[in-house]
Amino acid sequence: MAKPNSAQSALDLLVLTVVERRGPVHGYGIATAIEDLSQEALRVEEGSLYPALHRMEELGWLAAEWKVSETSRRARFYRVTKVGKKQLLSESERWSSFSTGVSRVLRHA
Amino acid sequence: MSWLSRLMNAVNPRRLDEDLADEIRDHRERRAAALRAKGVAAAEARRQADVRFGNLTRLREESRGIRLWAGLEGTLQDLRYAWRGLRKAPAFAATAVLSLALAIGANTAIYSIVDAAILRPLPVPKPSELFRLSWPGASDPGGPPAAERNSFSYPMYLQFAAVSKSAARLTLFSFRQRVEAQDPSPGAPVEKITRQFVSEDAFEALGVRPAAGRLVMPAHTAVVVLSYDYWKRHFQADPAIVGRNLRIDLQTYEIVGVAREGFFGVEPGRFVDVWLPASLYDARALVDPGWNWFQIVGRLLPGVSREQVQARLQPSFHQFQLARVNRVSTMPLSIRKQFLGSAIQVHGAPTGVTDFQKIFGRALWIVFGVAAGILLIACANVASLLLARSTARAAEMAMRISLGAARTRLVRQMLTESLLLSLIAGALGWLVARSGGPLLVSLLSRDSDPVEFALAIDTRVLLFCIGVSMASAVFFGLVPAWQASGVQPVVSLRSSAGQAAKLRMGKVFVTIQVACAFCLVMAGAAFLFSLGKLFRVDPGFDARNVAVVDITAETRKETEEARRSLMVQLQSRIASESGVEAAALAEWSIFQGTGWDQQIVIPGKGPSERQEIFYPVSAGYFATLRTRLLSGRDFATRDSRATGLKPAIVNAAFARKYFNSLDVLGREFGHLLGRSIEHRVIVGVASDAHYNDLRTSAEPTVYVPAQGSDAFVLYIRSPLPLGALVRMLEREAHAIGSGTRVREVMTLETIVGNTLLREKLLAAVGGAFAFFGLLLAAIGLFGLLSYSVGRRTKEIGIRAALGAQRTEIISLLLKDVGGLVSGGLLIGLAGALALMSLLQSLLFGIRVVDPLVIGTAMGLFLATGLLAASLPAHRAAMVDPMLALREE
Repeated sequence: MAKPNSAQSALDLLVLTVVERRGPVHGYGIATAIEDLSQEALRVEEGSLYPALHRMEELGWLAAEWKVSETSRRARFYRVTKVGKKQLLSESERWSSFSTGVSRVLRHA
Repeated sequence: MSWLSRLMNAVNPRRLDEDLADEIRDHRERRAAALRAKGVAAAEARRQADVRFGNLTRLREESRGIRLWAGLEGTLQDLRYAWRGLRKAPAFAATAVLSLALAIGANTAIYSIVDAAILRPLPVPKPSELFRLSWPGASDPGGPPAAERNSFSYPMYLQFAAVSKSAARLTLFSFRQRVEAQDPSPGAPVEKITRQFVSEDAFEALGVRPAAGRLVMPAHTAVVVLSYDYWKRHFQADPAIVGRNLRIDLQTYEIVGVAREGFFGVEPGRFVDVWLPASLYDARALVDPGWNWFQIVGRLLPGVSREQVQARLQPSFHQFQLARVNRVSTMPLSIRKQFLGSAIQVHGAPTGVTDFQKIFGRALWIVFGVAAGILLIACANVASLLLARSTARAAEMAMRISLGAARTRLVRQMLTESLLLSLIAGALGWLVARSGGPLLVSLLSRDSDPVEFALAIDTRVLLFCIGVSMASAVFFGLVPAWQASGVQPVVSLRSSAGQAAKLRMGKVFVTIQVACAFCLVMAGAAFLFSLGKLFRVDPGFDARNVAVVDITAETRKETEEARRSLMVQLQSRIASESGVEAAALAEWSIFQGTGWDQQIVIPGKGPSERQEIFYPVSAGYFATLRTRLLSGRDFATRDSRATGLKPAIVNAAFARKYFNSLDVLGREFGHLLGRSIEHRVIVGVASDAHYNDLRTSAEPTVYVPAQGSDAFVLYIRSPLPLGALVRMLEREAHAIGSGTRVREVMTLETIVGNTLLREKLLAAVGGAFAFFGLLLAAIGLFGLLSYSVGRRTKEIGIRAALGAQRTEIISLLLKDVGGLVSGGLLIGLAGALALMSLLQSLLFGIRVVDPLVIGTAMGLFLATGLLAASLPAHRAAMVDPMLALREE
């Protein structure tokens, strides 16, 4: 499992959040969502998204299935599992305490 | 993902790849569509989508790594890939697999023997509690250093057992004897088996459980315990055997039990077939402290150390030594001192007691070392083959790296190939070991003293075999793999300039090979020459066409005279048979380690420090063995009945040592017989002949007339085959109605040859491995040169185009070879000389720096090197400048 607060765990958090909020979504949808929501500040190399998705699938945080999409193409849709939800909760808690800590230091140093 | 689907993915990764490809295509098409919607042109949109997506290959590798458990799929894919690669290069694969298989097989075979003979503990509970007793022994002044003595008398054992009662349990083992066993039913066949006397509770003390019946033998009762092996071999493991009778050497014993499977006695390599209670041993041995015919093995009681046992035993041991010294009043002072100063030693004996380790232990370790050398050569060989092979694949590697394949993945893939090679080789090697092990053991064994090992399939040996295979795979695979995967794509794709480093590595491997192979060739040559020299030693007799027959008189003749007349009758009847040139009697055979040594008393001087060999023989001995009589006469039949001054024939060494002259006819000397001195007059002088050993020079020897004996040997000089001689003997023995029986027939050549088993083993193994090492080195050299010629085709073409002669081109290449070989030879020579000083004690007539050995090894090597170089050199000389230049 990734070290807490590493870039990888940050990406995991973003992906989990997006997938949880937007329901079953494909990889492209996740990438654009992260881009759009962060107003293009977080532009991930799109290819690196897939190993992350597959890893989380392996860990049991995400589940995936093939569906025929609106353009009648075969696409893989991801959703968050129970385990993933628990993970998301603890990850976001850790993240917010981490970022509060950082911003407090930045503010009061 | 479920385990099942994972496994399915691993077995068939194509589906996984397709899924991944679909997912990625979907993503890129969506991105491109989005870009097009923003007004970007179609082609440009696709390009941008690809750029934003990033490194496709790495993603594919990474994702696949995640999707499959622990790289299972990767391994299987690598294996499939490696298998395909090997099938594409059958010559390479066959060479690599065969050389590795032989090397791994040799190592495994030898390890299996080393394991069985030296390393494996006895199959009893807590073998670490076992110990054996010995004492340092005494050495003759000026003689060889004292050999450890491990024989004790029965009274000593009783005394030791009594004083150490609360610290340890002692058990007693006689030395092994070959005896004849027979079912009690009349006419049953006679089988030669190995017998050992043991203390009655030995099995219980050691913790050996019965496979049938019970193992405690009541004292003074005619009972016998069988070994599991003998029980299976002779009685088909019949459980109803307990209570039945077995005849051993004409005495009947009741079978009381069978020892558990795997227990073969306390001496590894020496299987015992039957055990008898020690109380049935020769009655004199049970009371006479002079009969030191037993070994003592003990088990420590819990919490007791060997030092504590030693401290308990030492006072008793000293008492016995004191008594021993006092018994022999003429014992030289130096020996007396050594006896009284000696301490009993308590050695840990988890692997049992064995003289086998003493005789063959060193030789076995050396053979093991030689085998390890072969493995090293084979590994270096395969490594250089792999290096050469990776040249062919450099372009492929460069392509894969530039496409984003991870370096570790490439290394792993190539290591898989090595591993596959070594595992195939290991499997073959296992087969080699299964047949080679028994072959090696048979080199150590002889009929009268068989050696057997439990070489059955053993997990330790199997693990060793697998371990060696894996280790060698890593050894020969890692460097080439690392180097191949380190290819700089740009450099490699553009030209072959990156290959120089590879050639350097290849040279290192060839140097290792040459150095190791040279050591092996030196050792092999030394062993072969050593054996050859031993064969050429003039033993002082002519062993060809001499049969040696062990005979026992079955009906006990009470008087010496009766026994003597029986012997003499048999001898004279055989000697007069047609086809028999001569026949003679002796009380035992030469070269079987049997002896009778006595101190010599020259009139006017004290007893000699050294004990000399006495050998009782009949008239005709010298004629039969063709040992020359230098002066005087042979014995006559009446000599054995002489009273008063008895005749003796001495050899030249004896005459020179004690009389400083060969002119000794009529001179007198004495020797000790019990407490009195027996006087003898010299009636003949014989030329020097070896008595027990070809390695030492002929020792001073006194021949005396044979007395009557129940067991004697008959030397027969005859060109007839052994079988015909035995039939003749049985006929004659029957004719004189003596009730004698032939126990063993061997040629004298076999008997003498049996004393050279160790040398034969070393020569056979050393010679074979030297040849093998030479072959591997030649293959390595050939491979490297072929590679180098291939690489320099262009250069050679230019030289040829500029007018270089063929001879110049060849000499250019040969200079390369010369440099390589001489470098390896120098290192090899240094190693070989170090090795030779280690081997010195096992060699006969070979010095550490022996010009003959070094010269032979060098010559062999140069010839092999030239042979290996000739083909590539020829190819280089045939290079067509036009073709070569057009090639690139």
